[in-house]
Amino acid sequence: MKFAVIEFPGSNCDHDAYHATKYVLGQQAEFVWHKETDLRGADVVVLPGGFSYGDYLRTGAIARFSPVMARVCEFAHAGGPVIGICNGFQVLLEVGLLEGALLRNNRLKFLCEHIHVRVEHTDTPFTSGAVAGQVLTLPIAHGEGNFHASPETLAALEVNRQVVFRYCAEDGAQSDAANPNGSAHAIAGVCSVGRNVVGLMPHPERACESMLGSADGRVVLESVINALAATGTA
Amino acid sequence: MKARVFVTLKPSVFDPQGRTIVEALQSMGYGSVQDVRQGKYFELDVAAESADAARSTASEVADKLLANPVIESYRIEVDGDDDS
Repeated sequence: MKFAVIEFPGSNCDHDAYHATKYVLGQQAEFVWHKETDLRGADVVVLPGGFSYGDYLRTGAIARFSPVMARVCEFAHAGGPVIGICNGFQVLLEVGLLEGALLRNNRLKFLCEHIHVRVEHTDTPFTSGAVAGQVLTLPIAHGEGNFHASPETLAALEVNRQVVFRYCAEDGAQSDAANPNGSAHAIAGVCSVGRNVVGLMPHPERACESMLGSADGRVVLESVINALAATGTA
Repeated sequence: MKARVFVTLKPSVFDPQGRTIVEALQSMGYGSVQDVRQGKYFELDVAAESADAARSTASEVADKLLANPVIESYRIEVDGDDDS
């Protein structure tokens, strides 16, 4: 199975994603520079974390116009699995593959810590190996992860079961104290209506080996590997 | 021709930076300043035949790039406009 890790100028978790998919999970992985217009036959696309274009204007606002994004959109519209992590999530929102926006953290601090998220739905390619309600310990590292959407969009995201990850306490309980950045509905990650595009602020790719503090992120990447293997598409 | 684009967060969107600024102002003694909303300002130099054409271009780039309609709205002023 081949993962394409898209690299924008300013991406800085591209190597984390490459390391996790290639060396920890034993899959093929290739970097794809943002100016390229070919995903090289990838089965899964990863938009990694970082500060594409220095976060100029808005996070992800300029990266969404990179040539490779047209291919990523085609791939996503054809049902291909796409995951956007942190800055990659911001790019997916700006390009319109996911709904909502990410604002400055409500307390303005850049947050770099391990937090807990609850897996709300397992019918996405990136959560199919998890159990509904499973609590994952994952790192976050962002200044703008405060999920925002209109009341209508938030309602639609809930009704359509598109809220895939929600911030919670270690025992899975939701509270303001367990919501690190002020996100509406404690949303840490959402999926597309077609469920194949997932974006989240926490970093599963940085939590694939226990020596790094948590291996809970493996389930996210292993889900897509097993999901594609089961359908025989890769 | 100069076009000026003012991008601001929608009223419904919380602006933590504006909140922090107004709290600083109040602690400086400016109790009369009751709220601050921080925004962005862009000056575009547009090669255009008319103010209308410059406005149209500015509006298009604001829609496509300068503002995110989920959280922001914008206002445009163009040299030669009656209102500028």
